[in-house]
Amino acid sequence: MSFATISRRLATAAAVACLPLFTSGWLSGHQSTFETKGPVARTQLDVFYVTLWVTMLVFVLVAGVLAYATLKFKARKDDANKTMPPQGHGNPFVELGLIALSIAALVVIAVPTLRAIWYTYDVPEEQRANAYEVNAHGLQWWFKFEYPSEQIDGTGTLVNANELVIPAGRPVRVNLRTADVIHSFWVPKLAGKVDMMPNRGNHLWLQSDEPGYFWGQCAEFCGESHSVMRFRVVALAEADFAKWIAKQRQPARIPAVAPEQPKLVAAGYVPLSNPKRNSPGYTAEFDADPMGHWVAKQEVDAGEDVALALHGRTVFKEKSCITCHAVRGHDGMGVNGPDLTHFGSRTTVAAGLLENSKVNLHRWITQPNNVKPGNKMYRGVNGMAGYMTADAEGDMTVEHIKVSDDEARALVEYLHSLK
Amino acid sequence: MEAALKSAYTATDRAPKLVARPWFFTRPVAKTGIVSWLTTVDHKKIGLLYGIFSLFFFLVGGFEALLIRVQLAVPNNTFLTHQAYNEMFTMHATTMIFLAVMPLSAAFFNYLMPLQIGARDVAFPRLNGFAFWVFLAGAIILNVGWFTKAGAPDVGWFGYAPLTSNQFSTHFKGDVSTDLWVMGLQILGVSSVIGSLNFIVTIINMRAPGLTMMRLPVFTWMTLFTAFLIILSFPAITIALVELMMDRSFGTGFFEVSKGGLPILWQHLFWIFGHPEVYILILPAMGIVSEILPTFSRKPLFGYPIVVFSGAVIGFLGFGVWSHHMFTTGLGTMATAAFSLATMAIAVPTGVKIFNWIGTLWGGQIHTRTPMMFALGFIWMFMMGGFSGVMHSAAPADAQQQDSYFVVAHFHYVLIGGSIFALLAGVHYYFPLVFGRMVSEFWGKLSFWVIFVGFNVTFFPMHFLGLNGMPRRTAVYDGNMGWNTGNLIASIGAFILGIGIFIYFVVIVYTYAKGKKIKRDPWDARTLEWSVPTVPPPEHNFHVTPTVHARDAFWYEKTNAKEIAEESALHAKDEESHGGIHMPSQSWFPILTACGMLFGGLCFAHHFFLGAIIGGVVTFLGVIGWAFEGPGGYHLHLDKDGNAKPDHGDSH
Repeated sequence: MSFATISRRLATAAAVACLPLFTSGWLSGHQSTFETKGPVARTQLDVFYVTLWVTMLVFVLVAGVLAYATLKFKARKDDANKTMPPQGHGNPFVELGLIALSIAALVVIAVPTLRAIWYTYDVPEEQRANAYEVNAHGLQWWFKFEYPSEQIDGTGTLVNANELVIPAGRPVRVNLRTADVIHSFWVPKLAGKVDMMPNRGNHLWLQSDEPGYFWGQCAEFCGESHSVMRFRVVALAEADFAKWIAKQRQPARIPAVAPEQPKLVAAGYVPLSNPKRNSPGYTAEFDADPMGHWVAKQEVDAGEDVALALHGRTVFKEKSCITCHAVRGHDGMGVNGPDLTHFGSRTTVAAGLLENSKVNLHRWITQPNNVKPGNKMYRGVNGMAGYMTADAEGDMTVEHIKVSDDEARALVEYLHSLK
Repeated sequence: MEAALKSAYTATDRAPKLVARPWFFTRPVAKTGIVSWLTTVDHKKIGLLYGIFSLFFFLVGGFEALLIRVQLAVPNNTFLTHQAYNEMFTMHATTMIFLAVMPLSAAFFNYLMPLQIGARDVAFPRLNGFAFWVFLAGAIILNVGWFTKAGAPDVGWFGYAPLTSNQFSTHFKGDVSTDLWVMGLQILGVSSVIGSLNFIVTIINMRAPGLTMMRLPVFTWMTLFTAFLIILSFPAITIALVELMMDRSFGTGFFEVSKGGLPILWQHLFWIFGHPEVYILILPAMGIVSEILPTFSRKPLFGYPIVVFSGAVIGFLGFGVWSHHMFTTGLGTMATAAFSLATMAIAVPTGVKIFNWIGTLWGGQIHTRTPMMFALGFIWMFMMGGFSGVMHSAAPADAQQQDSYFVVAHFHYVLIGGSIFALLAGVHYYFPLVFGRMVSEFWGKLSFWVIFVGFNVTFFPMHFLGLNGMPRRTAVYDGNMGWNTGNLIASIGAFILGIGIFIYFVVIVYTYAKGKKIKRDPWDARTLEWSVPTVPPPEHNFHVTPTVHARDAFWYEKTNAKEIAEESALHAKDEESHGGIHMPSQSWFPILTACGMLFGGLCFAHHFFLGAIIGGVVTFLGVIGWAFEGPGGYHLHLDKDGNAKPDHGDSH
C-alpha cells in the first residue's frame, strides 16, 4: 500500500469515527461552525482544519514518544540493584532539530492563516460593486438592523429588528455599531464574530450561498441578559428579497374596518397561566422548517380578529408603548425599543428568544422580566415609564404600567396584524 | 581561637549601644501563637499563610464553578438568576486567578526559593509579610460584595468598558460591586508587585556562595521570570483601574463613550497585563514540574539552559501577543496578522519545554509516585491545551472560537491541567519538607485519578460545545441547539472533579494531623531545599550556609559527602566569628499598614472619602513607623546538637 492510500484510508476512518458527532447534533446544531453556508465561514473552517490536522499530527508524534518513554523507562523492582541512569544534561542537536521542526509545522499553519485574514476582512475587491450593505446596531439586549440603501420619505432609513433579512448569493457588508456597551455579531454558519465597539466603526462581511434561515447570538458579555440576546438571519432569493424590501417600505398595515365590537376574550389561545422564568420558547415543528414558518408569517393570519386588533392599537397608545416603540404610519415613534412596523412578519420575539406565537407574545408583554431580566420594557429607561421602576432605595417596586390579560390579548392581536 | 574570633566582633565595647525603645517600637519575639503569625517575617511562615489562604479561595472558586455547572446542566435552568450567574462567573475567574493560583504560586516562591538558593530569608523580610497582608486585604475587598445587597462584582473578570461605567451599574442605587472589584484588584496588584521586587532582589543578591545563575534550580529561574513579568505587566492594569476608578468616582471620561472615551483603550491596557498574566500563572507551574521530573526520573533535567532560556523567551514574547485576545475587535488586517504570527511563535519555546521534559524522562528510572503522577498528568493536559492554543492563533479560525466554549475548554486545559495539576503536584512533593509527614501513596494516587478523569469529562466536551456555536458567559441556553448532552456530561464531570479535589484535601488534612512521619529527603531529591537539617526546616533554614558546586547542588552534596562536611565545618566557624546566624526581627508594622489599606480601600469603594482619607493616614503612619522602627535583626547561636538559641541582646 502506498503512503497516499494509507493516509486516505486513515482519513476516512477518522471521518467515520467522528460521524456520530455530526449525526447526533454534537457538531450540527443551529449554530454549528462545521455546517458552513457561505464563503467566509467556509474559509474560517478551512483554516481550522489546517490547524487541526497539523496539531493532531504533532500530538500523535509527541504523545507517542511521551507514552513510550513513560512505559519503557518506568522503574522496575530490580532497579535498586542497578546503577544510576546516566546523568546527562541534554543534546543540543536534538534540541535544534526539534525547534526547526516546530517552526516548520507553524509555517504550514501561518500561510493559510495570513491569506484568510485578508480574505475574511472585507468583501473582495471584484465583488464590492455587487455587495449589499446593512448596518447592525447592538443594544442591551437586542439588535437593530438598518438598510441604508432604502430611504423612506419623511422617516429616513428602513429599519428592522432582530431578524436580518439579506439577499442570498450576494456578499453582504454589515457595518457594526453600538449605542451602549460592547456586543458581538455572530452567525456561526455564515461568518465568525466581529465585535460592535462603542466609538468605533467595525464591519464584517458574509454571504449565504443559498436562501436559508440562520441562528445568531451576541457573543460578547454585555450585561445582565447577555445570554438571551439573540437574532436570526434570513437569506432570500433575489426576487423574494426585492419583494420583502418593497413590503417593508410600506407603512404599517391597517386591517379592514371592523364590522362589529371587539370580542375581548375570544382570541383562540390559552395564555400560559404561569410560565416559569426562563421557560423555553422554541418548538420542534418550527425547527423542522423555519423557512416555511417565516414565509407563512408574511401573510395575514387566517383567523385575524379585526376588531380586537383595532382595539389593541388603542391600548398600544394608552399604555405608553408608543414612547419607546415606533409603528411607522400609526402612532408610535419611540426609538428606545425595536421598530414594530412589520412586527407580525417576524418569526421571533424578544430578540430571537421566543418564537413569535400568540402565547409567547402574550407572555413577553405580561411578564417581560421573566423572559429577559432587566429589560427596558420592565425597568423603564431615561425617566420613561416601565412596568416597574426603582424606588429611592434602588429596589424595583414602583409600578407604572400594568397590562391586564384582556389588554395583552388586544396588543397581541394588534402586533400580529402588523404584517 | 574560637572565643577570640567571636569576642573580636561582638565584644560589648564594639557592639552598637542598645537604646531604650518606646513601646510602639518594641519588636515582638513570640515564636508560637497568634502573635507570631501576625508579626511573622519568616519566609516559611509567610509561605504557609499564602498557601492556606490560596487553598481556601481555591475551594471557594471551585464551589462557584460547581454552582455554574449546576445551572448549565440542563437547558433553560432556573437554579441561578441571570444576575447571580453573572456574579458567579465573574468571581469564579477573579478568585481562581488572583486569589488561588497566583497566591499559591507565591506560597511556593516564598517557601522554596530562599531554600533553593541557600538563603536564610528573603532580602526584605518585613516587606514580604506586608505583601501577604495586602493580598488578604484585596481578597476581602473583592469578596465582601457577596454580603451586600448589590451583590458581588458582575462585569466579568476582564471588566470590559463601558459595561463597568456608572451608567450600566444600575441594578441598585448603591451598587458599588464594580467599585469593590476595581479597588480589590488594585490592592492585589500592590501585593504582587511588592512580593515580586522582593523575590528579584533576593535571587540576584542572596544566593549561596558558588550558586551562579546558570546553577540556579529551574523553579528559582521561573520565580525570577514570573516576578519580572509581574512588575512589568501590573502597571498596565493599574493604570486602567485607576482610570476606571476616576470615571466611576469623580466623573472623568476615560471610558465613558458620551464623554468621548475609548472603550478599546481598556482592552489594550487590560490585555497588555492580561496576557503576561497567563504566563504568571503557568511559569511557576513549569518550574515545579521541572523539579519533580528529574527527581523521579533520577537524572538531571534535559537541556537545562534551553529550558531556562525558553522560559525567558516565553516571558518576553508574552508581552507581544496581547491583541490575540482582541482578534474580533476589528484590529484591521495588519495588526491581526502580526499578532497571529507572534502568537504562533510563542508555541516554539513552549514546545521546547515539553520536548525537554520528555528528554528528562528518556533513559531514566521513572518512579510514578503521587507527585510524579500529577506532573505527568500536567505534561499531557498542558500539551492538549497548548494545541488548542495554536488553533486560536490562526485568527480566522479564532473568529469562530473566540468567546465560545472552545476557548473555555482551552484555558481550563492550560490552567487546571497545567497550573493546578503542577501546583497540586508541588503540594504533594513538598509536603514532607514542609510538615515532615508523607501523604499515603494509595490515597494520593486515588485523588489524582479521580481529578484527572473528572477534569477531562468536564472540559473535553466543551471543545465540541464551542465548535457547535455555544457562546461563553451565558446563563441559559435553548434545548434545540445540540448542546444538551455536552453540557450534562460536563456538569457530571465537574462533580467528579469536585469529589477528586475533596479527596485530595481530606487526605492532605489527615496527613497533616496523623500522617506517617518521615526523615529528611524522602524522595532522594536533587536540589538545595532538601538539604535542610530537619523537616520541617528550622527557622534559620541551614545550620551552615551551603556552598554550591554543581547545578543539582544537593545531589552533589550526597555524592561528595566528605568534601562537603569539611567545607561546612569551616563555614560554621566563619559564621560564628561574624556573630552567629543573623535573623530578621518580627514587626507589627506590615499588618498595621495593610489594615490601613483595607479600611481605606473599603471606604473609597463605598465613596466614603473621609474614611478613605483615614485609611490613607493609617497606611502612611504605618510606613513611617516601619521606617523608624529600623530593620532590626538578632543572632542565633547553635549548640553542638544543632539547637538554636536566640540572642536578642546583640540586636542592632
